[in-house]
Formats: sequence, C-alpha cells, structure tokens
Amino acid sequence: MEAFLGNLAMGFGVALTLNNIFLCFVGCMVGTLIGVLPGVGPIATIAMLLPITFGFDPTGALIMLAGIYYGAQYGGSTTAILVNIPGEATSVVTVLDGHQMAKQGRAGVALGMAAMGSFFAGTVATLFIAALGQPLTKLAQLFGPAEYFSLMIMGLVFAVVLARGSILKAMCMILLGLLLATVGTDLETGQERMTLGIQDLSDGVDFAVLAMGIFGFAEIVRNLENPETRDVVRAAIGRLWPSKDDFRQSYFPILRGTLIGAILGILPGNGAVLGPFASYTVEKKIAKDPKRFGRGAIEGVAGPESANNAGAQTAFIPLLTLGIPPNAVMALMVGAMTIHGIIPGPQVMTKNPELFWGMVASMWLGNLMLVIINLPLIGLWVKLLQVPYRMMFPAIMIFCCIGIYSINNSTSDVLFTAFFGLVGYTLLKFGFEPAPMLLGFVLGKLMEEKLRQALILSRGSFSTFIERPVSAGLLLVAVVMLAIALLPSIQKGRDEVFTE
Amino acid sequence: MSGQVAPSEDQSRGLIKSTQELGAGLFLIAIALFFYWQGMDLPRGSLRALGPGMLPLALVTLLGVGGLMMVIFSLFEVGPRLERWSLRGPFFVFGGIILFALLIRSCGLMIAGPVSMIFGMMASDEFELKEATIFSIAMTIVCILLFKTLLRLPIPVIGTLLEPIFPF
Amino acid sequence: MKKLVLALAATAMMAGAAQAQSYPNRPVTMIVPFAAGGPTDIVARIVGEHMSKTLGQQIVVENVAGAGGTTGITRAAQSKNDGYTIMMGHMGTHGAAPALYANLKYDPVKDFEPVGMAAGTPILIVGKKNFPAKDLKEMMAYLKANPDKVNQAHAGIGAVSHMTCIMFNSQLGIKPTAVPYSGTGPALNDLVSGQVDYMCDQIVNLVQQIKAGSIKAYAIATPVRSPALPDVPTTVEAGMPEYQVTAWNAIFAPKDTPKEVVTALTDALNKALDDEATKGRLLELGGVLPTKDERGGKWLGEFVGKEVARWTPVLKDAPK
Repeated sequence: MEAFLGNLAMGFGVALTLNNIFLCFVGCMVGTLIGVLPGVGPIATIAMLLPITFGFDPTGALIMLAGIYYGAQYGGSTTAILVNIPGEATSVVTVLDGHQMAKQGRAGVALGMAAMGSFFAGTVATLFIAALGQPLTKLAQLFGPAEYFSLMIMGLVFAVVLARGSILKAMCMILLGLLLATVGTDLETGQERMTLGIQDLSDGVDFAVLAMGIFGFAEIVRNLENPETRDVVRAAIGRLWPSKDDFRQSYFPILRGTLIGAILGILPGNGAVLGPFASYTVEKKIAKDPKRFGRGAIEGVAGPESANNAGAQTAFIPLLTLGIPPNAVMALMVGAMTIHGIIPGPQVMTKNPELFWGMVASMWLGNLMLVIINLPLIGLWVKLLQVPYRMMFPAIMIFCCIGIYSINNSTSDVLFTAFFGLVGYTLLKFGFEPAPMLLGFVLGKLMEEKLRQALILSRGSFSTFIERPVSAGLLLVAVVMLAIALLPSIQKGRDEVFTE
Repeated sequence: MSGQVAPSEDQSRGLIKSTQELGAGLFLIAIALFFYWQGMDLPRGSLRALGPGMLPLALVTLLGVGGLMMVIFSLFEVGPRLERWSLRGPFFVFGGIILFALLIRSCGLMIAGPVSMIFGMMASDEFELKEATIFSIAMTIVCILLFKTLLRLPIPVIGTLLEPIFPF
Repeated sequence: MKKLVLALAATAMMAGAAQAQSYPNRPVTMIVPFAAGGPTDIVARIVGEHMSKTLGQQIVVENVAGAGGTTGITRAAQSKNDGYTIMMGHMGTHGAAPALYANLKYDPVKDFEPVGMAAGTPILIVGKKNFPAKDLKEMMAYLKANPDKVNQAHAGIGAVSHMTCIMFNSQLGIKPTAVPYSGTGPALNDLVSGQVDYMCDQIVNLVQQIKAGSIKAYAIATPVRSPALPDVPTTVEAGMPEYQVTAWNAIFAPKDTPKEVVTALTDALNKALDDEATKGRLLELGGVLPTKDERGGKWLGEFVGKEVARWTPVLKDAPK
C-alpha cells in the first residue's frame, strides 16, 4: 500500500509540472475537437501530430497523445448524442438512447450524465491501473484464441438483447454484420473474398465507413423526408442539467458500467469494444421496465458511457505492462513511444517509472480537465441543435466526407460511405435496426480470426472450446443469456414488436 | 427510429399482411443470393482447416433462411406497411458525397467542398442558391482552417489539377 | 459563380509565372504504405523530419495502408512524377510483392526512380519462453523432429513476419503449422502467453520482450550482432549462415522523375543519415543504416532487382 501511494505521488509529481499540465490540456482539447468532428478519428490526428512532439520529452509527448485519445472518446459521445453518428465502435450504444434523449429535448441531460459517468469511470480506472495493473495482466494471459472466440460469441448474444423490436430481424442484422466483416483478404490464405474485384476492398470495409454510412448519412436522408422528426430536436430544448431523479437513476448503472468496462478493457485482444454493449445489456435486463430502453432511458447512456471510458483507460494496461497494443490507437502509441526512444515492453514500469506513473496520474488529470472543458460546452452543443436543418446536414456531410477521406487518404472510402448510406436508408425503410449489425461487424473480424486460430491450434477439434475452462464458462454465460433473451418473446409471441 | 406505423386498419388487408416485412425478407434473400454468387467459388476447406469460404457460406445460408421466414410471416401476421420512398433526398445527398470523392484529389477541398455541399443542399425543399453558395464557401473556409491548419491532416486543398498554378 | 471562376483563372495565370522556381517550392508528400506507428512509418518520419530541413520544404507523411503495402505503392507509382510525391518502399512492396500478388499493378524494378536506402531492421528468430531448445541448433533439430507439433505465428499474409519465416522454414526444409494473426501485437501476445511456439519478426517489435525474458531469442539474421541485443548470436555464429534477412526501407520516386529532383532527394537523405541525432534515433530502434557504398539510387536499383530474384522462388513454392 505504501509503495502504491508512493508511486502515485511520484506520478502526480511528474504530471503536475506546469509543462505537462499544459500538454495534457492541449491533448484533451484537440481530442475533444476531433472526437466531436464526425469521422476524424484519433489515429489520423495522432499520426499527424507526432512530428510536433519530437521536441518534447517523452513523458510530455505521451501525456499529450494520451489526452488526444481519451479526449476523442469523450467528444465522440457528444456527436453520438447530438447527431446520431457513432465515431467509434464504442459509441454505437450511446447513439441508441442518447440521441433519443436529444430528440426529447434532453440532450443537455444526456451530455451531462455522460460526462459525469465518464469522469467517475476514469477516476476508478486510474486507481485500478495503479493498484492492479500488473497482476491483472497475468490474468489476461489466460486468454488464448479459444477464449476470445467464446467471448465474442457472448458479445453476439449481447447484440440480440440490444435489439428493440423483432428478435428475428436483429439476428438477421447480426448475420449481415458478420458477413460484411468477412469481405476482404482472407487472413490465412491471402485469398480475396467477395471484394467484387475492387482493390480498395482487399483490406475489408472500414468500421468508420460503415458506421458513417449506416447511421450518419442514412439518418440525414431520413430526416430530410420527415421534417417533423428533425424539428422535434430543434424545438424542444429542455433542461441543461440532470435533475436529482436523473442522478438517482444513474448511480448504479455508472458503477456497474465502470466495473464491466474496466475488466473488459484489460484484455489484450481489444475487449474494450464489448464494454459498452455488455453494460447496456446488463442495464436493460435488470431494469424494471426494459421497454424504456431505446426510447431515451438515461441508464442506457450513463452505464455504457462509463464502461466506454473505463475501458479506454484500462486498455493502456496491456500496452504499459506487456508492451502489446490491443488496438490500432494503442499500436500508434507504441510508435510514438518508439520514436521517443522508449520501446514499450514488460520493463517500462521498472525502467521508466516516471513515465509509467506520470502517465497514470495524467489520465486522472486528463479526465478532470475533460469534465471542466466539456460541462460548459454542453450549453453550446445544445444551441447547435437549433441550427436549421438545411444548414446542419450539409455541415455534417462535409465533416463526414473529410473525416472519412482522412482515415486512409482514400476517395474510394468516401464512395463506399455513400453506398452504405443508401443501404442504411433501405434497411431503415424495411424496419431494420443498424446497431446489431455494427456489433456483428465489429465482432465478426475478431471472431473468425480467433475461431480459425483456435481450430488450427487444436488441429481441428471443436472440443477445445469446451475443454478449456475459461472458454467453457463464457459459452455457458452466452447460452444462459440467450435463453433469458428469447424466453419472453417466445412466450408472448411476436406481439411485442407492435407494442410501441 | 419512429418508422413503425401502428397498424390501424389491419384486418382488411389482402394476402400480404405486412408489406414492410415482405420487403425486408426479400431484401435479405437478395443480399444472401448476391453474397452466395460472390463467394461460391471460394474453397470451403474442412473442419480441421476452415477454408476462406466456409464462414461466408454458413452466414449466407442463415441469412437466406431468415429472409424466407420473414416472407412467410408477412403472409400471416399483420404488421406495418412499407413507407413511401423519396428519391430527392438520397439522390442529392449521396450525389453530393460522390461529387466530393470525385473532386477532392484533382480539384482539392477548395472546389470539392462548395460543389458537394451546394449539390447536397438541393436535397432540402428549403433550398436557395444564394444562401447555399455563401454557406458552403464559408463552411469550406472553416474546414480548411480546421483540418488543414489546425489538425494538419494531409487533405488536398488545391488539388493536383490546380497545384502547378497555385504555388503556395 | 462566374466571377469566382474568372478570379480563380486570373490568380492562376499570375501564379503560373512563379512556377519556374527551383525544386521544391511546396511541401512534398511521402506516401508510407503502412499504418502510422509501425516500423516503416517510424523510419519515414525520423528521416523525413531531417530531410525537410535540407529541402527547405516540409515532407508530409501520408499513410496509405492496405494489401501488404501494395495499395500505397500503386498509388504513389501512378502519381505525377514531379518530385512532389515520393514513397517509402519496403522489402515487402519492392521485393516480395511480385511473388505474393498475382495482379500487382507495378514492377518494383522498372516503375521507380530509386532515391536511396534509408534504414532496415534486422530479423530475429524467437521462441516462447519454455520452448524446449536452448540454442538455434537445438531448435532446428526440434523443428525437424516434430513437424506436426510445432505452431509458428505470423502477422498475416504479406507481413514481414510471414515472409521471413517462410524463408526460414524453406531453408530448413520444414512445413510447420502456421497460425495467422491480424498484426504483430496479437501474434506476439500469443507467443508471450505460450499459445504458439515460435515466430520471426523485426527486432524493434521484440527487443523489450527478449530483455524481459518473456520470450527467447535464438538468432539475429545479420552478419554482425546488434548493439541493441549484444547477447543474441547471429545466424552465422549459431549455425544457419544462409539465413540473412533485413526488413529494409528505402525511398523511391515515380518513374521518370527529373534527374535533378532525384539527386536533390538523395542528397537530403544522405544528409539525414549523416546527422548524429537522426542516426542515434534510428540506431535506438535496433536499425541498420546503409554503409557509404550502399547509399544512393544506383545501388538501390540493383539491390531491388536482387531482392525480387531472391524472394520470388521462396514465396512461389511456399505453402500458404
């Protein structure tokens, strides 16, 4: 305990120098900005800002870059709530109830609760990393391909629970998402699959391209044909601040979300994406009235947002303690560290303690700054909703186009986004929901990879999934959850679809 | 999304009880057939070594079955009707995005920005050329300042066609 | 709208006069065909930073990742050959690609003006912590004796870890079970946790794990030991001298870029390689820098030809 406090004190000593506070602030500001701009992700920005950091000392540079990363997570929720565009896989869930709240004039409440949930989660996750970072890494090492596959199966079950209407439709959307994830070069044989001979599809469909099309552009077109629905957002500006009731409803979801997100975030295989989905599923299942979910339930924003932020933070654990990046942003952080002469690995903690603990401390500082930056901005964001839609939508359009282009400096990505916009519009017309499809897509890539790795390692024996205890446990949870999800709808028949 | 219209005069429908469900089912079947056509030549491999075509085939089959179930349900269970489809919105919005993609590399954001935005804005029935022109040029300037100057993204402002005559 | 067009045309004409300035008079784009943060990207950014100073214009790195780097190189090869678009080519894109991609749209030898070698990273052979072999000789014997038991990880078709291990396996005459991962990170993770037995990869990705003892290093595929890992023997010392691989990165310009432009770029690159700070940064990565003889476009041009000839038979025969 003493060592723990000593370490934290040393960390704050590093983080609280004037220079590093400033860099942290700049990082958080830039992060919030790119997070809010739909499409522009932290990867492109961090890559572009890397050369600027050449002049800084490594700790300062990493503090700033880390600030961009979680600032972007924060800003991403703002866009998800205001204009129904999830910038990253982790804010897909926020869209569901967050944007509904905005439509009911409760955008301020949703934004405020998201900010406070995130801050709480960030604080807990910081302590979590500081206290348990190293032992938990060992736990994560228990996860081989078979375990990840079972975890992904569990994630797909979440997607079914996520659905609002017909379970059959939700399952079909998951299947479609999985199918889209198989487009691209086959990992094992290098064979091109269902790319229609288009070279730009050889690495598959990018998440942002799909999300921006299915959610962002499809929503624009839909809003243009129903002036009533879009004006609801404009007309009703309710309270800016969560009420006492809102807080009371959110305490426990935030606590649960933080815990779920923090644990899933540690997994080196990018388990963090599951956090918000898992949290939403839990909240919906234990709610007295699950029907409110998808129609502006505050728990559906508070829980997943906390899980999202906690996961974003604990995702640093595999990077800092193992030197293994769990996702693309973290891989970029490895690059940044390497350029600064620190090659991340198991020894960073002992060899560069100032860097390690300085970063841990700066995470908390960054979260504090984000709340300070974002709470006053809520008023501004809500005002933004009052911009007439005929100006709002071209602005969203151009931001999305630039953002999509900048992911890979590719014009075909922009064209694909238009195509998926059309698909998304068609799906909406047929009464499908896009969220399960996106989850299927996100999990699909990992799932096939892990399935095939596990089968190669077991030399083709499926029993590997049951023989390995962790994997078997996860599958059991998945089966139980699926049963719970399906039972009521089997009992009640399909009437539930029409009980709006 | 508020798409589902309550089935009010539901009893008096003909053979098809829910046109939305029917459309949804047919759409899924079409997707499944398309992907089957695209992926049928891929080697499927065996259980010991899954080939690249195994998972797609399994998914396509399940998707097709799902679509078929929806078609069948649409004949027996009353559900929402298919909504009206508009052409104006998709045409101008997606057209604007395509214009952006076609122009960005050759003419740069300077041209691609206003052109795509003005075209896209025609999707709205409140369209006004003067307002759209001013707004889109102002937005383009904001974007150049934001993305190029502030965030330093390598987005072409001038474009390869115009670059030789704009040496900044 | 008409007025705007006229105004633009007028500015354009005035600006045309200023064209005659010497190269470069605006930022140069360097296409890096891999994601930001990877070894090639890092080399490009470190070298590019110093080259910008010499050229007096910013070198802007543009990451165009995809299809083992061939997407970005294809784009770069097809761009205007005025010296304002250059690229960081790589062992994969300019050596192995013709064998791996049947419908490759460029020829690594004919379609480029070589500017010069930038830096390479040596390849290491590593095994999991408790792999039952204490040196390379024992490892080779074990691999040959247990072809059905061993699992080799790689980071996907076309990745450095994939190609270099195919060469290793083919020189050993073995066909182990290859487990594909979607990147170095996940592959390394499963090597550390012992799910797979061995892999080959660039030193920069492995050096910390080796130092911490979470994986075992068997040999480094260079003629001399690396200062970053002085305890790891070379393949020559360890008994497999024919295995010599370095993941090199070199700058190219599109075909028929003017000579004086290429010379300016080569000079800027050489200045960067002579700069102590830049050199230090590259060496810290465990990188190998070109010797004086290995600099410049002429040497690189010949080298690319040899690399293509070396990789093609190995990869064409290999089981995928």
